[in-house]
Amino acid sequence: MIEEDRHFTAELAVIGTGLAGFAASIFALKRNIKTAQIGNTGAVAYTTGYLDLLGSLSPDYPTSIEDPWQGIEQLKSSHPNHPLCRIRKTDICTAFEQFTSFLGECGIAYTPPGKSNLSVLTPAGTLKPTLCIPSTMKVGSTAFSQKEPCVIIDFKGLKGFSGRQVVANLKDKWPRLSSSRIEFPDMVTGEIYPEVMARSLEVPATREKLAKILVEAAGDVKIIGLPAILGMHAPDLVRQEMEQLTGLQIFEIPTMPPSVPGIRLREMFEQLFPQKGVILVPQQKVDKLEFIKNGAQLSLSDSFGPITIHSKSVILATGRFLSGGLKARIDGINEPLLNLPVTQPDSRREWYREKYTDYRGHAINSAGIEVDSSFRPLDTRGQPYSRNLFAAGVILAHQDWIRGRCGAGVAIATAYKAVEEVEKLLR
Amino acid sequence: MINKGSGSGMTKTTIPTINFKEKAEELLPEGASFEACLTCGLCSSGCPASGIENMDPRKFIRMAMLGMDKELSTSKWVWACTQCKRCQHVCPMSIDVSQLVFLARSNWPQEKKPSGIVRSCQLIQSTDSTSAMGLPPEDFVFVVQDVLEEVRELQPKFKNMQAPMDKKGAHFFVNQNSREPMSEPDEMVPLWKIFDIVGADWTYSSKAWAAENFCMFSGNEEAWREVIKKRVDAVNELGCEIWLNTECGHSYYTMWNGINRFGMEADFKLESLVTYYARWIREGKLPVNSEWNSSNIKFTVQDPCMIVRKAYGESIAEDMRFVTKSLVGEENFIDMQPNRSANYCCGGGGGFLQAGMTEHRRTYGKRKFDQIAATGASYVLTPCHNCHSQMEDIGHHFGGSYGVVHFWTLICLSLGILGENERTYLGPDLLECI
Ligand SMILES: Cc1cc2nc3c(=O)[nH]c(=O)nc-3n(C[C@H](O)[C@H](O)[C@H](O)COP(=O)(O)OP(=O)(O)OC[C@H]3O[C@@H](n4cnc5c(N)ncnc54)[C@H](O)[C@@H]3O)c2cc1C
Ligand code: SF4
Ligand code: SF4
Ligand code: SF4
Repeated sequence: MIEEDRHFTAELAVIGTGLAGFAASIFALKRNIKTAQIGNTGAVAYTTGYLDLLGSLSPDYPTSIEDPWQGIEQLKSSHPNHPLCRIRKTDICTAFEQFTSFLGECGIAYTPPGKSNLSVLTPAGTLKPTLCIPSTMKVGSTAFSQKEPCVIIDFKGLKGFSGRQVVANLKDKWPRLSSSRIEFPDMVTGEIYPEVMARSLEVPATREKLAKILVEAAGDVKIIGLPAILGMHAPDLVRQEMEQLTGLQIFEIPTMPPSVPGIRLREMFEQLFPQKGVILVPQQKVDKLEFIKNGAQLSLSDSFGPITIHSKSVILATGRFLSGGLKARIDGINEPLLNLPVTQPDSRREWYREKYTDYRGHAINSAGIEVDSSFRPLDTRGQPYSRNLFAAGVILAHQDWIRGRCGAGVAIATAYKAVEEVEKLLR
Repeated sequence: MINKGSGSGMTKTTIPTINFKEKAEELLPEGASFEACLTCGLCSSGCPASGIENMDPRKFIRMAMLGMDKELSTSKWVWACTQCKRCQHVCPMSIDVSQLVFLARSNWPQEKKPSGIVRSCQLIQSTDSTSAMGLPPEDFVFVVQDVLEEVRELQPKFKNMQAPMDKKGAHFFVNQNSREPMSEPDEMVPLWKIFDIVGADWTYSSKAWAAENFCMFSGNEEAWREVIKKRVDAVNELGCEIWLNTECGHSYYTMWNGINRFGMEADFKLESLVTYYARWIREGKLPVNSEWNSSNIKFTVQDPCMIVRKAYGESIAEDMRFVTKSLVGEENFIDMQPNRSANYCCGGGGGFLQAGMTEHRRTYGKRKFDQIAATGASYVLTPCHNCHSQMEDIGHHFGGSYGVVHFWTLICLSLGILGENERTYLGPDLLECI
């Protein structure tokens, strides 16, 4: 069969479609850099939708911190190599501002970065600190701080979210909180997924049916919390309409993965980037990355056949073990695409502490690649691997985003910095 | 008691048990493995077949890994999964459940498989036409000639129109879904008119002209290969440069995938008509516009997974939107959510429409119905026959008020050349625009 080769050129190739990769493309768009992006489903599809900057100084100070900006100052003395310590705070703030306002322009409104963390609900009904939240979740945060009467709604057949559990966990702090279980309109019995409910709520007729049921479930109470199911691509609109239909104040609480807020982000990026001029090859991985004169050549293939991309610069944002940016093997941890050196414990035995829940964390979680001050990855001699290569996101060493509650923070801030350096190289 | 039912012998046949884990290792490319599954559930959450027959893609993989081979080998769910590959599209590990489903389907004894799909495949094999409705070559030639004569006679603008048959060296070898010559022959005319207007050098073939290919869906690999072989030979024989797939999704996929899978020699390119619609509009050869739509009738498009997610990806999705917007006006186009490669299968694919499992098919289609209803559009445009039939059916079933139209119909409507008999799919609002 006669086939055509597909070939693209770009100024920047972003490898990875997690938060870091998507953030990098947003910042590149802002700077008019012609961008190509490739990657499979990243961790973004599993997130709660909350964008954490820094929630804990674990292990030195394992409880939640209120002021992430001051937290970064403290981090500078305890963990000077932490990626967040290598970026100016004003840049981190600008990065969050640009990222959240882009989401807002694309139909998923977020709260802008503030001076301190917000206290928000987890799927289990515990509290966690975070910096920016989808505006569909905002009412929950204020209702909690004012301790207003509120009903948490859950649904028959929905796993991974229980109103009773939320109430049980919050009863001491939020006395006038109760729960109610209802049936979602027109769902065949069996397990139902938040994604399915969210899509169904994009239909006006479903909204009307659900509104009636909600009014009944709320009784005299004026505020209700729902699992995150208020539409997929226009959540703010759906929430607004539900409020109008019910006369209630409504907020969302994230559910366990796969949860709607993560899918929203991913679907929105996948749909909007091509419209904005990014060459996006979704759901594929780069097989080979080579540096040639004045740039790089990326080889990959999609279901239709081989693709080659030539680019003047590359941002490596391939994530950690889950996403394949790092690989754990018998002889140690490696970085599969370029075989970059990975900072890691001397032997496998030191990867984990004895107890998984040890508050000090595990050495393996801070493993990663090293970069210089312009976020260029280093080779075995400690020199930049290539002047055209940069890195961003949780692939970087010296951060443990789970314990530090800094997943989005590391991803967005380092992406901002890397794109800034790309621009310096290009212009 | 003696069981006299003619089917009694059949029901006794048992379905052999497959060792899924072992087979999966043979099937998957090096490095990939079902064991890489993170059990994250993204696949099931985004699969319209989840819950049918108490099964979903994550469960299927888990059961395969746990060696629950007997249950999987006999699960009817494999006939409800349309092999649309949406699960793979959203999976962080790119795990493709549809490969296991194909394996399971192949393993069912012929007499146990849904008879509608088996029958369609048998009919395809029964004539040189490769038509799933069994329309033989001479009948096809006759219908084409007959319809052509009528158009030439009754529509003076097209008194010299051609519908070439077996023309050697023509640029395009054009295929045709059997539904048209068999049940609605006038629906071929808009397509011919488009070729006429752009001056395309094209031909039908009396052999292997038909588009549909249910042999792949019936899990009969040998039959699938045979059909593709006939089609490839026919194009090679006529020496055409391009096998042009008309508005039928799976015919493209089965041909393209089959040629690669069976390593066939094909001296031509495979292309989709949608790409050419877009090209001809861009080049000004097809001077469509949206002025006719002054009442702002709203349209959405259905991305057939067989040509979008499973084949061309973004480029054809973009072409479809370009064509649609040119035809109906940018402001009158509303995209379904999700769309393009992330779109849901309509639920008519994979042989579902032929399988006789109506209730399951509609349960699956509910997702599509919701998607369409959410757009509020009055019409869905789609370049796929299966999608077309399924969306009409679920529309009626769930009480929708939308219509489904082919691209060729709307193109001719916009050009003011849609004949009286070519308006079957137009509602009163569109009829008024003529
Ligand atoms: C379950 C879960 C819940 C979370 N919840 C939150 C939360 O509530 N708040 C928060 O702030 N953070 C949260 N996070 C963390 C946050 O998602 C991550 O910190 C962030 O996504 C990391 O971004 P990244 O882009 O660096 O890596 P990833 O998101 O892991 O993305 C890496 C990308 O690289 C791609 N890739 C890998 N190899 C290749 C290759 N060869 N070619 C092309 N592409 C490749 C992958 O396909 C993937 O797209 C959560 C994470 C998880 C797993
Ligand atoms: S999406 Fe992929 S990794 Fe997740 S459960 Fe499904 S098959 Fe497993
Ligand atoms: S191929 Fe389609 S129908 Fe089958 S399991 Fe995957 S998503 Fe579901
Ligand atoms: S009928 Fe349409 S949507 Fe369904 S599988 Fe076929 S191409 Fe896909």
